[in-house]
Amino acid sequence: MKVRTCITLIAVAVLAAAQNAKPSRIVSLVPAVTEMLYAIGAAGEVAGVSSYDSFPPEVASKPRVGALLDPDFERILSLKPDLVIVYSTQHDLIDRLERARVPMFVDEHAGLADITATIRRLGRRIRRAERADQVAASIERELADIRRRVAGRPRPKTALIFGREPGSLRSIYASAGVGFMHDMLEAAGGTDVFGDVMRQSLQATTEVLLARAPDVILEVHAAEGWTPERVASERDVWRGLPGVPAVKTGRVYLVADDRISVPGPRVADAVRVLARLLHPGAFDKGPGGTSTKPR
Amino acid sequence: MLEAVDVRFGYARTPRTGGSDPESARPFVIDGVTLRVGRGEVVGVLGPNGSGKTTLLGLMAGALRPASGRVQLDAADVSHMPRRQVARRLAVVPQETALAFDYTVLEMVLMGRYPHLGTFEVEGPGDLAAARAALEATGTATLADRPFRTLSGGEKQRVVIASALAQLDGAPGDAPALLLLDEPTASLDLRYQLEVAALITRLHESRGITILLSTHDLRLAATVCTDIVLLSRGRVLAHGRPQDVLTPALVGQVFEVDEGQARPFCLSPA
Amino acid sequence: MTSPLRRGAPAVLLCFVAMVAAVLAAPLIGSTPISFGRVFSRTIPFADNVDAQIFFIARLPRAVAAALVGGALAAAGVVFQGLLRNPLATPYTLGVSAGAALGAMIAITFGSALPMIGVAPASLAGAALAVGVVYMLARARHRGLSTTVLLLAGVTLNSFFSALILFVQYLAGPGDLFRALRWLMGDLDVASYEPIVAALPFVALAFAGFAWLARPLNLLSIGAEAAGARGVDVERAQRVAFFSASLATGAAVSVGGPIGFIGIIVPHLVRLVVGADHRLVLPASTFFGAAFLVGCDAVARIALAPLELPVGIVTAVIGGPFFLWMLLRRS
Repeated sequence: MKVRTCITLIAVAVLAAAQNAKPSRIVSLVPAVTEMLYAIGAAGEVAGVSSYDSFPPEVASKPRVGALLDPDFERILSLKPDLVIVYSTQHDLIDRLERARVPMFVDEHAGLADITATIRRLGRRIRRAERADQVAASIERELADIRRRVAGRPRPKTALIFGREPGSLRSIYASAGVGFMHDMLEAAGGTDVFGDVMRQSLQATTEVLLARAPDVILEVHAAEGWTPERVASERDVWRGLPGVPAVKTGRVYLVADDRISVPGPRVADAVRVLARLLHPGAFDKGPGGTSTKPR
Repeated sequence: MLEAVDVRFGYARTPRTGGSDPESARPFVIDGVTLRVGRGEVVGVLGPNGSGKTTLLGLMAGALRPASGRVQLDAADVSHMPRRQVARRLAVVPQETALAFDYTVLEMVLMGRYPHLGTFEVEGPGDLAAARAALEATGTATLADRPFRTLSGGEKQRVVIASALAQLDGAPGDAPALLLLDEPTASLDLRYQLEVAALITRLHESRGITILLSTHDLRLAATVCTDIVLLSRGRVLAHGRPQDVLTPALVGQVFEVDEGQARPFCLSPA
Repeated sequence: MTSPLRRGAPAVLLCFVAMVAAVLAAPLIGSTPISFGRVFSRTIPFADNVDAQIFFIARLPRAVAAALVGGALAAAGVVFQGLLRNPLATPYTLGVSAGAALGAMIAITFGSALPMIGVAPASLAGAALAVGVVYMLARARHRGLSTTVLLLAGVTLNSFFSALILFVQYLAGPGDLFRALRWLMGDLDVASYEPIVAALPFVALAFAGFAWLARPLNLLSIGAEAAGARGVDVERAQRVAFFSASLATGAAVSVGGPIGFIGIIVPHLVRLVVGADHRLVLPASTFFGAAFLVGCDAVARIALAPLELPVGIVTAVIGGPFFLWMLLRRS
């Protein structure tokens, strides 16, 4: 897979060098990269986006071309793109686009550090390197600021929950030892309570939660449909596990915020939201991002 | 004691409303049959394939409801009697029995006790005695613990008859029991045919069980029956004692062959 | 000559003991070592006693749920096999689980927009819909329930609902999609007694039907006509069998998801020991099914700890080869 990706990257580079032109019609199947395009000032070049794109709000008017599992090849071609942003796992789409000689930018979904690297790589690819460097540097500065603020403070054992059956403690999914969510949690000054499990996620059963005894439970959701009443009532559901320290001390937080699930240019804001919940004292003074802390 | 009075029956087709007269619109498989089975008789319903024998037995047993006419067990209409009450007096042996699960012979025979037991009642010593008697009467006592599936055709038939006997054992009062057999020898070879025929005769003679059987086997009918009904296309062609009914003319007519062809199979040469 | 029923009674008792032992033993084992002195200690308040909480919140409800689901599915399998006169029938043959799955998929996919619909009630509603459709179809042309039409309607409904399930999954976002797929693999981590209590009345009603059915099922399985001739009210027995088995299946699936193979392996293993009499097969399958699923769930909890192995995968890994072996043995 790695070899294949490398070959693809080389092919893309060769094609790009051959064309040696600044792309003017970009189709993005990766919402995080779409956000990056807008952040580095390429809004005008975006010709199409994935069906899951929702930020910035301007994407609402862009044509949709499917998503990770169901990219619509015909629609993509019909938009006459000179650059298509794809996931590295979309092998079929990559093959077809290669045959159609459409240049590609392949996104590797990985950890936190890859976000700014991707922004810089994207900037060079679309001839906006300077602006991209600025955006990436600003994110890195912000992350460094957060890391500095939380440094030296006790790092609470945290369960970062991103899925659960509404109204019950069933089907709980938590971030585990690798990936972007895990990195965000560590950057925000928490210790991932499932950090030893080398996977992106795991199903956290009640037994595992009781045994691992997290000090903080951070449940994150997309913003849609989360009224304050619903946030409050779903937070109360955790009382079913009274032995978990987070429940005992009231450190269960439910955050409905789209930024947290997108590994894009808003990641520093997302980390700041988590860091403020984990270390409220660290952000009493000085510049800070916005947070939606419940209660 | 079991009596059909002008019974008609047709298998349901797509029902049509309005228009033509429903009686003429659908063909009756049984078309105006009147038939009486008296106490202690062995009545054979004889006819070719498709003449309606099995359907007639179903009607007589109350499993099918006639479109017109009625079937009476003593004075009561069979189709209005509770099933359990009918089952205590009247047992049916179908042409073939295939089991979905591996019941043993004894279990199979004990199933005959169903109409005698309450919902949650378990078979008691009386029921076991009835089963044992039925097994012995049919010569299958040694098979009691064998899986039914592993028996030969003739053994299976005798076990099903044993189950029917267990069902009729201890019928209320002195009301006589009725046994309905559908083509009891149809799929058996000669030895088993003779065995089953002998069994039927024995049940009739030593136990006085009233029997109604269907068959297309002239020899069986002639050997075991006291009365024979010739059934042709759902109608009774003749009804009487074997020597009066099994004539070349009638047999030829019912099986739709020449008299000459029928003659070797008949009792009386006339 | 002793009654065959008495001869089978010890085996039924053994299955019952196995069930009780499984439910009592399962909470003692798990991915986390706990001290039993602490579990039952009176000096530590419950709120601070993590060992007791693991025992009473995480493990015991789970073992009880596994017993309830396993017992209900195994018994429903027995009843469907008798009703359809087909030893290869399962509780899911007639589309109950496909309906339940469709309901659950809808609740999971649109759960963020419609949070008031719980997954369990939605799956129960889906199961009821499937049962209603199959019943109407099977009744439409016959006085009784035609087992052939039941089978055809069930098989057709299964594939139709599967298509609808795929459609709903296609509409789901990635996070919900994962939860939806996970639901289909079966999960008994009920986290409280609530789901068990909610399903209990349905299961109890179904078992009342099963108790009444045990003897008529023996006769039904030798054929509807033969049963009628022995005094069985065939139509009523078929109706009770269909609805009570569907009810047990729907309730079980709403608690644990469509856990496969319990409804077929258990009845067959039990028949090998106690024979074919449903008065033995039904209770023995219920108890053994309960014990079996409690055991499978213990494997699911421990095998990959701290990861959870879906219990449906455990039963399928055991059940698939068993089913094939059984097919070979029959032919």
